Amino acid sequence: MNKFSTIEKRIPRNDVSEKVTGKASYMDDISLPGLLYGKILRSPHPHARILDIDTQEVENLEGVRAVITGRDVPDIKFSFIQEMADKYILCKDKSRYVGDEVAAVAAADLETAKKAISLIKVKYELLDAVFDPEKAMQEDAPKLHGSESNVVYERHEEFGDVARGFEEADYIFQDRFVTPLVAHCCMEPRGCIADYSRAGRLTIWSPTQAPHTIREEVSTVLGIPLNKIKVIKPCVGGGFGSRLVMDMKEPIAALLSKITGHPVKIVNSRQEEFETGKTRYSYIISMRTGVRGDGRIVAREVEMIVDNGAYNDKGPRTMSTALLCCSVLYDVPNIKFDGYIVYTNKQPGTAFRGFGNPQITFAMESQLDMIAEKLGMDPMEIRLTNVNKAGVTTTSGAKIDSCGLEECIRKVAKESNWNDGKRQKNLDNTNKKIGMGMAAMTHPGGGNRAYGYSANDAFIKVSEDGLVTLISSAVEVGQGIKTVMAQIVAEELGVRVEDIIVIGDDTDLAPFDLGCFGSRSTYVCGNAALSCAKDTKKEVFEVAGEMLEIDPDTLTASQGEIWVKEDPERRVSFSEVANFAIKRKGRPISGKGRFFDPLAPGAVTRQIGELLPSFSFGCQVAVVDVDLETGEVNVLRLISAHDSGTIINTMGAESQVEGALAQGLGYALMENIILENGTVANSNFLDYKIPTSLDVPQLKTIFVNTYEPSGPFGAKGLGEPGLVASAPAITNAVYDAIGIRFNELPITPEKILTALKEKRAQLEAHV
Amino acid sequence: MASKGIPSKRRKYVTFGVNGKRVEVDIDCRMTLVDFLREGLGLTGTKVGCNRAECGSCTVLVDGKPVYSCTVLAIEMAGREVQTIEGLTERGKLHPIQKAFIEHDAVQCGYCTPGMIMSIKALLDKNRQPKEDDVRKAIGGNLCRCGCYLNIIKATLAVSQTIPTGKEQ
Repeated sequence: MNKFSTIEKRIPRNDVSEKVTGKASYMDDISLPGLLYGKILRSPHPHARILDIDTQEVENLEGVRAVITGRDVPDIKFSFIQEMADKYILCKDKSRYVGDEVAAVAAADLETAKKAISLIKVKYELLDAVFDPEKAMQEDAPKLHGSESNVVYERHEEFGDVARGFEEADYIFQDRFVTPLVAHCCMEPRGCIADYSRAGRLTIWSPTQAPHTIREEVSTVLGIPLNKIKVIKPCVGGGFGSRLVMDMKEPIAALLSKITGHPVKIVNSRQEEFETGKTRYSYIISMRTGVRGDGRIVAREVEMIVDNGAYNDKGPRTMSTALLCCSVLYDVPNIKFDGYIVYTNKQPGTAFRGFGNPQITFAMESQLDMIAEKLGMDPMEIRLTNVNKAGVTTTSGAKIDSCGLEECIRKVAKESNWNDGKRQKNLDNTNKKIGMGMAAMTHPGGGNRAYGYSANDAFIKVSEDGLVTLISSAVEVGQGIKTVMAQIVAEELGVRVEDIIVIGDDTDLAPFDLGCFGSRSTYVCGNAALSCAKDTKKEVFEVAGEMLEIDPDTLTASQGEIWVKEDPERRVSFSEVANFAIKRKGRPISGKGRFFDPLAPGAVTRQIGELLPSFSFGCQVAVVDVDLETGEVNVLRLISAHDSGTIINTMGAESQVEGALAQGLGYALMENIILENGTVANSNFLDYKIPTSLDVPQLKTIFVNTYEPSGPFGAKGLGEPGLVASAPAITNAVYDAIGIRFNELPITPEKILTALKEKRAQLEAHV
Repeated sequence: MASKGIPSKRRKYVTFGVNGKRVEVDIDCRMTLVDFLREGLGLTGTKVGCNRAECGSCTVLVDGKPVYSCTVLAIEMAGREVQTIEGLTERGKLHPIQKAFIEHDAVQCGYCTPGMIMSIKALLDKNRQPKEDDVRKAIGGNLCRCGCYLNIIKATLAVSQTIPTGKEQ
């Protein structure tokens, strides 16, 4: 018998009829009376001193309403972590990457705005630039921010005793891995509308993943009170981490609006998206791992050099996630970690789905296959030897309550015929070789305490016809969270999903929340919605009890009907109850709920493992063929198994995983921001390829059923896990096919052909 | 679409159909079809993703054929029939393709969706019983970063089973 009425089912999303009809309103679809168009003048140099800016010609151009430069912006620096603030709204003395914001205009139409910025004359003094983070760490490297070193942040941690761990090891492996700069490529370019003219408050429409955060950020950098700012989130065309930290468009548009008295809209061109949109952090990882003869990992020493780009953003946080996941996967007893975040003259890095974990997992899971081969162990066998178990606390302090990693590994192995069908080397009559590769992962399951705040409020009002309105801070960017919120309420309150609307895209309305990232929304906002539904149910049953003349404790509800448990004939509908309450009893029905994690405040001062109440786990197998003539890798199958606790919406969860796998495929095989002297050379979709319908194979997605006691209905997070293990699964499969190991992503056809040529030459030399 | 004193040889008077309605306008020769649809007619369902004919978000049908409206001039539409996403819904009733997209979870952020649906419509109008490969090729020029491709294929194959023979929708 099904224990749930909506949880775990395949539920269509409650916000897509607007999207399929073209009625959904994204930021650029919004028109306002008197709207002006803004454009930003960006530095064409990777590193330069700004000597003079002449805007005379622009000010005289018909249609231009305002021009601003670094002189016109507050002397307040900004960064996501304010203690690391290093950027003005517009460059004042220096520009530090190709694309850095130097000036901005607002004009009556976009064409005039574009013409205007071309008329601004800037005198630059070119400075030496540095693009390689290892070079940037050197003493004689050009310095970006006037300090003595480009190393802006360091972190050193040790858990257990690494020196002793390596002594216990029978084998030690040392390898270097490099991951690339990749672009989020959201289909909706970044932009915003700012309007200073509404009743003395600044209203900002921004397709943000964190409305309350951006509100604070704008307040900080403009030096205006927080309560003067209202942020409205329209429909968002993809996020993946790119919309968590303010870029300077919001404060620039706000200043232009203040000067002109009109709303101002600024939108990135696709080229600006690639050049200035902020990338995934590129990591250079040096990994030293010690194992016993039976394959058990006993020690790890990791050095990570993170390419920061020109300004600070989410660097320290992504490094923290990488460090945490590295210490949790396989419960390695002794780990030493040294991380460095280094300025370079490139666009800044920022959050991107996986948040440091895809980078470190690429290193861990590639190396584990190398270790397996050396020990003569099957890659699956070595993973099972090291697999995490529930009920264990790692040396980094992570308490693993629910863990389905072993089940995930076994299930993908079974589904992919790992023991029977793998290692078929040749595809008959072709120049192709087939291979299979496996990779496992762990990831935060939601409820991260790193920000010192893991809490949320939610409210419900019930209208007189029984419509339930949930006021939730859950930020919908296409991941389906509003449907999940509705399902949680529907399940607990006993109504149908279609009788719930979820609102809260306005910071005046929605309770404070950190935003949708870290796979946290189901966990944090879901727990708040659950608590709220419980509270509302009390009032509903009170009234129903009056109508049925029975004690409310005897009642139960589901799908919009309320009945006496022991006497189901005695029933009343939810809408009848709502109507009765308001029309006959003269009383409203509403509810309030809260999720509060008391361990969050101050969590950063404790051991890193205590930052997370839960972990998701997973395993992937990739089946590929490699064309020996063209070097192309064709992914034939991607099979993944995930432990994310109870799956609230099975259809939506599969879509999340499949989307993440597609991005992982791109990360492994295609995507790389290519720079020529600091300028992005492939700033368009022809030259920067992302997976299309012709690249994504049939995917098999398996969910293993575990139950996370602290999650709503036992759920954990799922937004990111699909991406974490894809790259090593694919590169391990390529090794299986052609016997060549690639420690740098992406593995393009050129790299493969070059490597095949070298291998042939080596073999011939030995003959 | 404010006129800015542009010389008359840079403007043209054209007549064409949009979603079955007749449009008669005097517009700047340089205006792209997508800009005309969005700003001139307020039909913001068609999206701009790259403005360079590389992503497919702006796909509309011109005389039944899928076209990147960001690199087609509005004046080229003279005498033609344009169909946008808004033209699929009739009197508030969802088109079967739209229903299938909802049912099979073929939409996440939704930005590529209007373009995707128009490409699918063009396919099904030409080929009522496409195979999976036909669908993949039909949307090969529509990028979806959220990764909905498999569900879009599922939705399309499901709809194709239900299309009646006879009059095209």
